[in-house]
Amino acid sequence: MNKYLGNKSALALFLLPALLLYSVILIYPVLQTVVRSFYDWDGLSTAAFSGFANYRELFNDPLLSTSLKNGLIFALVLAAFQIGLGTVLALVCANPRTRGRKLLKTAYFIPVVLSVTVVCQLWIAMYDPTNGLVNKLFELLNIPYRQNWLSSPTQSIIAIAFVNAWQFMGYQFSLLYAGVKAVPEDYFEAATIDGCGKWRAHWHVTLPLMRETYKFCFTIAITSGIGAFVQMLIMTNGGPGTTNYTMTFMIYRYAFMESNYGYACAVSVLLVLISLIATVVINKVFDRGQNA
Amino acid sequence: MKIEHKRLSTLMITLSMMLVLSACGGGNTASDKNQDPAAAPDTGKIKLKVYAQHFDEDTKGPFDYAVEELKKEMPDVEIELDSAVQDGNQKLKTYAATGNMPDVYFTDWPTLQTFAKSKNVELLDDYESTAQYKDSLNPGVESRLIAPDGHVYAYPDTGIEFQLIYYNKSIFDKVGIAMPIKTIDGLAEAAKKLKAAGYIPMSIFGKEKWISAAFYNGLVTREQAAGFGALEAQGVTELPQAFVTAAEQMKKLQEAGLFDANATNTNYDQASSQFYQGKAAMFVNGQWEIYSSEEKLGGQVDWMYWPAKDEATYEQTKYNIDGAGSPQGYAVSPGSKNKEIAVKVAAFLAAKSAEYKYTKLGSPIISPKTDKPIAADVPVMMQRIATELLPNAKEYAKLLSNTQIQNAINDNTQNLLVDGFATENFITNLNRTLGKENQ
Repeated sequence: MNKYLGNKSALALFLLPALLLYSVILIYPVLQTVVRSFYDWDGLSTAAFSGFANYRELFNDPLLSTSLKNGLIFALVLAAFQIGLGTVLALVCANPRTRGRKLLKTAYFIPVVLSVTVVCQLWIAMYDPTNGLVNKLFELLNIPYRQNWLSSPTQSIIAIAFVNAWQFMGYQFSLLYAGVKAVPEDYFEAATIDGCGKWRAHWHVTLPLMRETYKFCFTIAITSGIGAFVQMLIMTNGGPGTTNYTMTFMIYRYAFMESNYGYACAVSVLLVLISLIATVVINKVFDRGQNA
Repeated sequence: MKIEHKRLSTLMITLSMMLVLSACGGGNTASDKNQDPAAAPDTGKIKLKVYAQHFDEDTKGPFDYAVEELKKEMPDVEIELDSAVQDGNQKLKTYAATGNMPDVYFTDWPTLQTFAKSKNVELLDDYESTAQYKDSLNPGVESRLIAPDGHVYAYPDTGIEFQLIYYNKSIFDKVGIAMPIKTIDGLAEAAKKLKAAGYIPMSIFGKEKWISAAFYNGLVTREQAAGFGALEAQGVTELPQAFVTAAEQMKKLQEAGLFDANATNTNYDQASSQFYQGKAAMFVNGQWEIYSSEEKLGGQVDWMYWPAKDEATYEQTKYNIDGAGSPQGYAVSPGSKNKEIAVKVAAFLAAKSAEYKYTKLGSPIISPKTDKPIAADVPVMMQRIATELLPNAKEYAKLLSNTQIQNAINDNTQNLLVDGFATENFITNLNRTLGKENQ
C-alpha cells in the first residue's frame, strides 16, 4: 500500500480528473456566483459593479423574511418527521421479533424512488378541499377539521413540507436502520441484563452510539428544508401570492422571471452561507455532546 | 513528507483551477458571434432560422399559413423552424447568452426589454418594412408595435385581445339570475345563489397569477380607464383610489364565494373543464377562449361586461376595455448575416399570421389591416365584439412595463382569491413596491 501511496506522480495523475471535474461543476460556479452578487447584471448585458447594493436591498426585501421563516418551518417538519419517525421505524425493523421486516423496509423506501412530480400530483389530489382524501378522512371520522390545505396562507407550507417529509422519510430510515444495525448487540444485551427496559436501553445505549448517523441525517434534513423548492413550484407555484416562497424560490423568481441575475446571485450566496452555518452548528452540537 | 504532500496538493489544485478558469473564462457576448445561416449551397436559397410558437393548432395554423405564403412571395428564402417551448423564454435567453440567436424569433415584451439592453434585438425603427407596417396598423393597436420607449423591436401578429367574463346562459336561467349583471353587489348576489344551487360560481385558473391580475384589471377599468398603465407614472408611490376600490370589490366577491376554494391551485385545464362540464357558471379568460367555448357549449355561452360599483358607473365605463396588449411578435437578431432579408421576413410572417387570424378565425382586430374578407363562420360571441364592443370602445387599458410592479400585482391579486388576506395587506404590499419603483 505504501508503495502505491509513495508514488506522488501516480497519485496526482489519478486524482486530477476528479479534482478537475469537482472544480468545474462546483468551485468555479460558486466563485462566479459570489463575484456576480456584487454586480447589477441581467444575465445577458455587461455587468455593472454595484458593491454591496444587492445585499443592502436583500436585507430590506420582505420576501427574505417570508423565505427564511418558510425554510425554517420546512426544515423543522423534515427533521421532526423524517428523523423522529425514521428512528422509531428503524428500531422496530431492527428488532428480530418484528414480523415482515423485509416487506416493511421495502414499503418505507418505495416513495423515495417515485418521481417528485408524481408524488406532488398525488398529494395535490389528496389535499383537494372539496373531494380530497385528507378532508374526506376527517369527515369519515366525524372530526370537523376540513381545511383548504394548499390555499391557506398559514398552513400550506406545513402541508407542502409534509409531502417532502413523507416522500423522503424512507431515505432517512435507511440511514438510521444502517446506524442501528452498526451498534454492537452486546451493549444492548448488557443494558437489558442490568435491568433496562427495551426502549430505555435504546434511549441510553443505541441512540447515543448513533451520534454520527444523526449528525448526517440532521444535516441533510435541515439543509434540504432551507433550500426546498420543487414541491412549492409544482404544488402551489409559491402561492397564494408569495406565501410559500423559500430562498431557492426567490433565486428562481429574480433570475428567471425578472432577469435580475446579480440580485439572484446575492440570494444564492446567502443561501449557501446559511446552509454552511447550519451544517457547522449541527456538527458543533453533536460534537459537544461527544466531548462531554 | 508532510511538506512534500502539501506542495503536491497545492500544485494540483492550482493546476486544476487554472484549467477550469481558462476553459470557462471565454467571452460570451451575445450578439457578436454570428451564426452561420448559410445560403444552402445546393439550392442557392437563403436559409433563415426562425424561432416561433408552433406547439398546438392555435399556433401551428397561423405560422404554417404564413410560411406557405412566404414561399410564394420570397421563393429564394427557406425557413428552418425552431419550435418555441413554453419555458418563460429561457431557451431563447440561453441562445442569446451563448451567441446562437436565430435570425428571426418570436418573443414578448419583458424579453424584448432584456434583449434591447444586451443588444440581442435589432432596432427596427428605420426599416422600410416598419414604415409599411405602421401605415397598415389598425387603430388602437399601436402599443403592440411601438414600445413605451418609442422604438420598434418586433412586428406583432396579434391585435387587441380582450379579457372577458364568460357565462353559461342555461345555468343562469336555471338559477334565476337576470342578465346583464351591472354591479359588484349584483355579481356577489349571483355568486351566492349559484353556490347555494351547487355550482362553482366562477372557475378561474388562479395557479397562473396573470389571470387574477387580469380579473382585477377589469375591475380597475371601471374606475380608471388606463388600468395598470396608470401605476407606472413617476410619483405614484401610493395606490390610487381606483385601485383600492377595485381591490375592495375583488375581496367582496371572494367573500361572497365567487371563486372556488381551490382557485389558487387550479390550472387552465381544470378550470376550463369545470366550465365546460357545467359545474361552473362563469369563466374568465381572453377572447381567444371564444372558439373553444362555442365549440363545447354552443349557444349556451356568452360573455358579459365587467360590473362596476353602481349602474351609472357601469353604463358610463363598460366600454373601457382591458386587452390592448404590449409589444411582442417577430424580432430580428442583429447578428443575422442576412439581416435585411430577415427583417422583411419577420414583417411578412407577422402580417400573414395576422391575416390568418382574420380570414380563418374571424378575429376582428389584428395588427396590420388586410384587404381580404373576414372568415364566413365567425362565432357569435366574436361577432358581438366586432359589432357591439369595438365601435363603442372608449379607451383601452394601458401597458405596464415595470416587471416589479407587475409581479407585485400578480402576487397580491392571487392572494385576494383566498381567505385570510385582507385588502389592507394588498394596499400595504403594493404601496411598498410603488414607493420603491416610482420614486
